Parts: sequence; C-alpha cells; structure tokens
Amino acid sequence: MSKKKGDREAVMYAILAIASFFVFWWFITTFTAAKQTTPGPIEVIQLLIKSLFEPIGNYTIFGHLMVSLRRVAVGFSVATILGIIFGIAMGTSDWARAIIKPIFELLRPIPPIAWIPIVILFFGIGELPKYVITGIGAFTNVTLNAYTAAENVDPELIGAAKMLGTDEKGIFFRVILPSCTPQIFAGMQVALSTSWMAVLAAEMVGAQEGCGWLILRGNDTLNIALVMVGMIVVGVVGFLLATIMRMAERRFCLWNRMGD
Amino acid sequence: MNEYMQMKRKKAIKFGIVSAISLIVFFSIWYICTAVLELKPDYILPSPVQVLEAFIEKLSKKAPDGATLFGHIGASLQVALSGYLLGAIIGVPLGVAMAWFRKVDLFVTPLFDLIRPVPTIAWIPLMILWFGIGLGAKAAIIFVSAFVPCVINSYSGIKQTKQVHLWVAQTFGASKRDMLFTVALPTAMPLIFTGLRISLGTAWMTLCAAEMLASNKGLGYMIQLNRTLGRADLIIVGMLTIGFVGTLLTGILNILEKRFVKGGRRG
Repeated sequence: MSKKKGDREAVMYAILAIASFFVFWWFITTFTAAKQTTPGPIEVIQLLIKSLFEPIGNYTIFGHLMVSLRRVAVGFSVATILGIIFGIAMGTSDWARAIIKPIFELLRPIPPIAWIPIVILFFGIGELPKYVITGIGAFTNVTLNAYTAAENVDPELIGAAKMLGTDEKGIFFRVILPSCTPQIFAGMQVALSTSWMAVLAAEMVGAQEGCGWLILRGNDTLNIALVMVGMIVVGVVGFLLATIMRMAERRFCLWNRMGD
Repeated sequence: MNEYMQMKRKKAIKFGIVSAISLIVFFSIWYICTAVLELKPDYILPSPVQVLEAFIEKLSKKAPDGATLFGHIGASLQVALSGYLLGAIIGVPLGVAMAWFRKVDLFVTPLFDLIRPVPTIAWIPLMILWFGIGLGAKAAIIFVSAFVPCVINSYSGIKQTKQVHLWVAQTFGASKRDMLFTVALPTAMPLIFTGLRISLGTAWMTLCAAEMLASNKGLGYMIQLNRTLGRADLIIVGMLTIGFVGTLLTGILNILEKRFVKGGRRG
C-alpha cells in the first residue's frame, strides 16, 4: 500500500470517528432521557460562540483564559528557574544533595492540589496563592528531572573536557548544562501540564475569574453547557501549550534529535 | 579496592550526618518561627509539635471532620483503587488493541486525541452530574485520570516492538495471536508499567481534587474542611498522610514491576 493511500485512509477514519462521536452525542441528548441533564453539541457550540463576545462574570471567555494563562506563566517560569538551580545543584554537589534532598523527598510526594488549603490559609485568596500552587506543580517535576540528568552526565565527557584543559566554569556551562537540557525539557513538558491542571483546581477552590472558576460557575448554576465550553477551551489551550513546548524542545535540543 | 570502599563508606556516613543535620535545622527553624517567635498565628502555621500532637489525636478522634485518620485513608483508598483498577483494566487492553489492530488504531485514536487534552479536574462537574456525589462520580473521575496514561503507554509500548522480531516469529510459524502474546506484549511490559506508575500518581492527585470539591469523607475532604475551620495542624497532617500513602502505593507497584517485568527496565 502506498503511503499516500494510507494517509487518505487515516484521514477518512478520523473524520468518520469524530463525526460518529458528535452524532452519538447529539442522538443521546435529543432522543433519550439524558437530554434532561446533558446539553447537546449544538447548544454547547452556540454558547461557546456567544461567550466569545458576551462576558460571563467579569470577563469574556478570552479574558478568563488570559487570567489563567498569566497565573500559569508566572508560577511555571519562577518554579522552572528555581527547579533547574536546585536540581543541578543536587546533581553536581554532594553537599547540596545532602542538605536539600531529605527535605525535598519529604515534600515531593504531596501532590500540588493537596497544597491548596494551606496555601490559601497562608496567602489568602489573591493572586499570590495561585502563583504558588502552579509553581509547586511545576517545581517538583523540573527539579527531579534536572537532578537525575545532572547526576547521570557521562563522566567520560567531563574527564575529556578536564583533560583538554577546560576550567570548572567551562565544564559546567559547556558540558554539564547542555547534556542536561533534553531531560530538563522533558521535565518542563510534564511540569507545564501539571501547572495547567493545578491552576484549574486552584481556581475551582477559591477565585472570581479564570477557566477553573468558569467550569465551577457552570456547575453551581447548573449550566452544564458552560461546563462543557470550559472543558473545550481548557482542552484546546492545554493541547496548544503542549505543542509549543514540543516545538521549543525541538528548537533548543537540536543535537538530541540528530541521532534519530 | 578495600581502601576505596572504606573511603566511599566514610563519605556516605559524612553526608548522611549532613542530611540529618539539614532535617533537624529545617524542623528547628519551623519550630522557632512558630512556637518561639510566633511569626504566624497557630491557625495559619502551627508548630511541628502541634502537628505531631494533632496526628496522634487524629488517630483515634473523629472531630472535627467526622472520621479518624484511618477512616479518611480507608475512604480515599477505596475510591482511588476502584477508579484506578478500572482505568488500568480498560486502559491497558485498549492501548494494546489500538497499537495492534490497524482498524482500531485508525478509528479510536482520533477519538482518544479529542478527549485526552482535557485535564481530569475539568471532568469533575460532569461526572458529578452523571453519577451523583457518591463513590461512583469520584471513581469515574479517577478512572479518567488513570485511563489516559495507561492507554498512551501501552500504545507506544506495543509500537516499540521491532519488526524483525515479528518477522522471526512469523518465520517460525507463530500465529498472529502468538506474536502478540509472546513477542509484542513482553516488549511492551516495561512501558506498560511506566504507564501504570504515572497513572497511579495522577489518580492519587486527582483524588484530592475530587474529594475537595465533592465529598464527605477522605483525605482531600479532611484538608479542605479543616481550611474552613482554621485547623492548619490537621491540614498538615492530612498533606503528609497523602504524600506518605502515595509513596507507599508507588512502592507496592515497584515491587509488582520487579516480579512481572522480565529482564529489568534498564539493561
């Protein structure tokens, strides 16, 4: 079978699958008892288009999205920088590992969502607690990946650099850091989706705006179409974020792909 | 060699002591900030001693959140494990089928890609609508969270199978079924277990969210209720318990992995 023909078949099946999904959804929400609770696809799409222009709460759907994205951006970037510093420190220095690791291992298994109550008690319900929660979501993943990457740098590479007269600083910036980058990026990918999930949870528990609030608001006012609109938006943006991260990885870790 | 070993041992002891000091310093700073300097009131940041007291008390006392610590752990485990097992039992075979049968792959993968990017937490209101606020809804949410990584990892595990291995099996007269069970599945096993481990982590995290939003028992409920009551000591007990039970579950899974995956994960 030629490749082109296989591709065409794949597209056909994909269209068939997605079409049957929507038909099934439409069918059970029109003809069965489910219509009392669950809105159909047409209703949801209408609301989605409407909410692009009409505000829900204080913002339109675009505004809520921006609020959530800002929270993720701040928390994620601060946590990533801290995570890389802590992770590489633990991976390269025995002292740093001995000091940081026990505390890190004590706190690491606590999922970011479990931090929400104490963070709210501590910082109130303003913007700061959301940054902290999204940050915690990102921090553990990045730290862990930076740590294992830095610990597993090929000693032969370091030896070779030393033999060729590279100083400590050169070894760090030109050997250790580049060889950690791919794994740090892998950690950042997971971290970004965890942050995105954590911000939803944080907004569901205590906020007046953002995508999580939107979903919870739909729930509280029994507006299930709004819940679904929120899910769609959150899903699309989550997908876009993952794609952007993958593209960034391809750009910054070119040498990592050359072997493939 | 002996000298080298001795040096290594000395180093391990030295840094072990540093680690212990580090933990002691951590707890003393916490203690000094709270009990001595009283930087924050008790209801926001209690001292480690208060947390320990709260833990011991919580082992037997039901107030103020309606269950002992073990009661909450039991409730959480019941929900988490039922959702998780369901997710694994459905997710792994589905992933395998998607990778092994071309038609299934072509039809199911687009559907799967359609729902996959939606974070599990966003499903909570819908699941509550469909299943009520009992065990069903929470198990369904955890099912979704466990299901997705299971499918992804089993799928890429099977796809990893080397074509040459399949050809060899075919040459020796293996049927399609033999090829799946004796070649593809053992190849996929390590990745399937990775999927099981990832989904255990996400399931446990999602559980907290589900219990915080709709529940009347469980560890997530415990920390959420105690926030409204201003009992930070119990929140910290709850958080540490969540972390500890999560670690314990992962440990059990690692033991299972060692027993069932032949050849080890890395060489």
